[in-house]
Amino acid sequence: MRLSRIASLAVAVVLVAACSSGAAPGGAPSGSGGAAKTGADIIIGSPISLTGSTSNEGNLSKQGYDMWLSWINEQGGITVDGVKHKVQIKYEDDQSKPDLSAQLMQKLISEGHAQFILGPYGSPATASDAVIAEKNQIPMVEANGAAEAIFNKGYKYTFGVLSPAKKYLAGVIDMAATLTPKPTTVAILSADDNFSVEVAQGVVDYAPTKGMKVVFDQKYPNGSTDVSSLVAQAKATNPDILMNSGHLAEAIAINKAAKDLGLDAKILAYSVGPSTPQFIKALGKDADYVYDGSQWTPQVKYTPSFYLGEADYVKAYKTMFKTQDDPDYHVAESTAACLALQKAIENASSLDPAKVRDALAKLDVMTFFGQIKFDSRGLNIYKPMVVEQIQNGEHHTVYPPDVADKKPEYPTPPWSQR
Amino acid sequence: MRRRVLGVVAVAAVALFALLPLLSTDQARSAGLPQILDRSQLRELTTISMFVVLTSAWNIIGGLAGYPSFGNVVFFGLGAYATAVLTDPEHGHLPLVVGLLASPLVPAVAAVVIGFPLLRLRGHYFSIATLGISIAFGEVINNLDVLGGATGLFPPIIRNDLLFYYLMFFAAALTVAVTWWITRSRLGYGLVAIRENEEAAAVLGVDTTRYKIIAFVIAAVLTGLAGGIFAQWNSFINRENVFPVDYSVQMILMAVIGGAGSITGPVVGAVGLEALIQLLAGGSGVYTQILLGALLAVTVIFLPRGVIDFVVGRSRLTLAHFRRSLRETSV
Repeated sequence: MRLSRIASLAVAVVLVAACSSGAAPGGAPSGSGGAAKTGADIIIGSPISLTGSTSNEGNLSKQGYDMWLSWINEQGGITVDGVKHKVQIKYEDDQSKPDLSAQLMQKLISEGHAQFILGPYGSPATASDAVIAEKNQIPMVEANGAAEAIFNKGYKYTFGVLSPAKKYLAGVIDMAATLTPKPTTVAILSADDNFSVEVAQGVVDYAPTKGMKVVFDQKYPNGSTDVSSLVAQAKATNPDILMNSGHLAEAIAINKAAKDLGLDAKILAYSVGPSTPQFIKALGKDADYVYDGSQWTPQVKYTPSFYLGEADYVKAYKTMFKTQDDPDYHVAESTAACLALQKAIENASSLDPAKVRDALAKLDVMTFFGQIKFDSRGLNIYKPMVVEQIQNGEHHTVYPPDVADKKPEYPTPPWSQR
Repeated sequence: MRRRVLGVVAVAAVALFALLPLLSTDQARSAGLPQILDRSQLRELTTISMFVVLTSAWNIIGGLAGYPSFGNVVFFGLGAYATAVLTDPEHGHLPLVVGLLASPLVPAVAAVVIGFPLLRLRGHYFSIATLGISIAFGEVINNLDVLGGATGLFPPIIRNDLLFYYLMFFAAALTVAVTWWITRSRLGYGLVAIRENEEAAAVLGVDTTRYKIIAFVIAAVLTGLAGGIFAQWNSFINRENVFPVDYSVQMILMAVIGGAGSITGPVVGAVGLEALIQLLAGGSGVYTQILLGALLAVTVIFLPRGVIDFVVGRSRLTLAHFRRSLRETSV
C-alpha cells in the first residue's frame, strides 16, 4: 500500500519529465526520396486554430495552406539550387488561444524541426507568434494577422502577405470618390477588438484626404448585436456613407437596424460579413447594394507569374474540398503566404533561415492573389483591397476598375423604394 | 518513514526543476553535456511554474481563508500591464527591473480597493462579484488608449528564455514559502478560523476584515508578479492574453484537484494539470479537451479533497472511500 502511494507520486514526477522529454517524435527530415536530385523534405510548421472561437477561419486558412501543399508536391517540391525538396506542413491546434499558439510554435521549431512557419489565424495570435519568430530567428509568413501594430515593432522575421487593417475600407473610400453625386460624409461604427479598431482608424485618417468628413465615429463591445441605439445616433448625423468595422453577426444586425430606422445612406459598407454566403442568406433582398472591402475575390484578374490563375484556383478548390462554395479570401490569402515562402526559398537558393528571410524582404512577385512585396516592416502594402458589392443576391467585384467584373450600382435606393 | 520518503521525493523534484533547465543552454551544449531540455520544454516548464504561482496565490485567499475568488486573473492582468506600460518603448521605455518592481504594487493597491467592498460578500456572491470585476477591468483597459487600447502593449523582446524561467521559478518558490509562513503564523490560524466559521472567529477576537484583506493583498502581489514576468517574457499583451477568464478557472481547478488549503496541494495540482494540458495540447484533435474535462470530473468526484490528500494517505483507493466521496460531493 505504502509503496503504491510512493509509486503514484513517482508517476506524477515521471509525468512532468515525460512532458519535458518531448512526447512528439523527432520527425527529422528523412533522406532522399530515391530519385536523383531529390533532397530532404522541407518542414514547415503552422500553429492554427482548428478548435475554439476562430476555428471556422482557422480551418479555412488550413485549406489554403493545403491547396498549395498538394500542388507543390505534385510538382516534385521546391527547387533549391537544382535539388527538389518535397514539403511537409506540420499543424498544431492552438485552440484559438494566443499564448498556446506561441507555445506550440516553439514546439514546432524545437521538436518538430520546422524550418519555416506559416502564421496562425488572427492578430493576437500573430502578435504572440511574431515574438517566437524573432527569438528563434525563423521566418514566419503570415496571412491572417492584419493589425499593423505587429509590424511597427522592428521585428525582422515576420512577413504579412495581406493588406493591413487600415486599408480594409480605404478601397470603398477610393471608389466613393469616383462616383457622382460624390458622397461627402461618413459615419462609422466599430467593434472594440484590435483589428476592427485599426480598420476604423484607417477610415478616420483616410476619408478627409479624399474630401470626405467623418461625422460619426463610435465603438461598441466586440460581438454585440444590440446596435439600434448607435445606428439611431448615426442616422441623426444623416451620413452619405455608413460603415462598420466588425464581424458577420454585427454587420447583419447593423443592416437590419438601418432598414428598421430608415437610415438611407448612399453607401452601406462593412469590413467583414458581406463576403460570406451567410450574409445573403440572413438578409435576402436587403443584402443587395451592400459593399465590403475584401482581400481577394474569385473575380479579380491578376496575371500571375507562377502557380494557378483565379479560375483554375477556384476549380482546384472545389475539386479538392468537394464543395460548391467558392474559396473565400481567407483561403486565398493563406495560399498566397505559401507562394511567398516558396518564391523566397527559390530566390535564396538556400534553406538557411537568415537567407530566406533576406529573400522575403526583397521579394516582388505577382500571384493570383495580387502583388506580393513587403515594405521595410514586412507588410504587403502594395496589393490593393478590392471592393465587392452584392447585386441581385450575388457577389460582384466593383473596384478597382482594372480587376472589377461589374460597375457599382450607385446610389443605394432609399429603403422605402426597395 | 513515509513522510521522509515523500520529503526526499519533493526535494528531488524541486532540485530537478531548479537545475535541469541549465542543460538547455548553448553553453551546456558546447560543453558536451546532454541536451535533455529544448527551448520548447523550457517554455513549458516556465508556464508550469507560472501556474504554481497563480494556484498557490489563489490558495491563500480561496483555500486558507475560504473566499473562492473567480477573478484572481485581474491581478495577473494588472501586474502584466504595470510592467508592460513601463518597459514598452512607446510608453515608459524603462529597464526590466523597474517594470518588474511595479508588477506587484499595482495589484496590491487594487486588492485593497476591491477587497474592502467585496470581502463583505460571501460564498457565491463573492465569487460572482470577483468574476464581474475581473471582466470589467479587462474591458476598461481594452478601451484605454494610454494603455495601448485594443492593440495592446509590446515590451521589448529579451531573447534569454532561461532568465524568464528562473524568474518564474523564483516567483513560484516565493509563493510556496509565503504560504508556508502564513500557515505557521497568527495570520494563517486567523484565516483558517474565518474559513471554518467567520462569526466564531470574530467573537474570538480575530479582526476578520483586516485578515481577509491582508490575504487578498498577498495573493494579489504574488499573482501580479507572475503577470509582470509573463508580460516581459511574452513581449506582447492585450486583454485577450492577460485577462482570460480561463486562467481564473484554471487556478481554482488546479488548487481543488491538488488539495486546496494545504501548502503542497496547489503545487501538485498546478504541476500535474498544467503538464497534462501541455502534453495534450496541439495535434489536430478536439478530443483532447473532452478527455481533459472528463478527467477533471472524475478526479473531483473520487478525490474531493484533492490528490495530495490521497498521496499522504488520508484517502484510500478503496470502494468504500469512493462511496463516501460520492456521498460527500453529491447534494
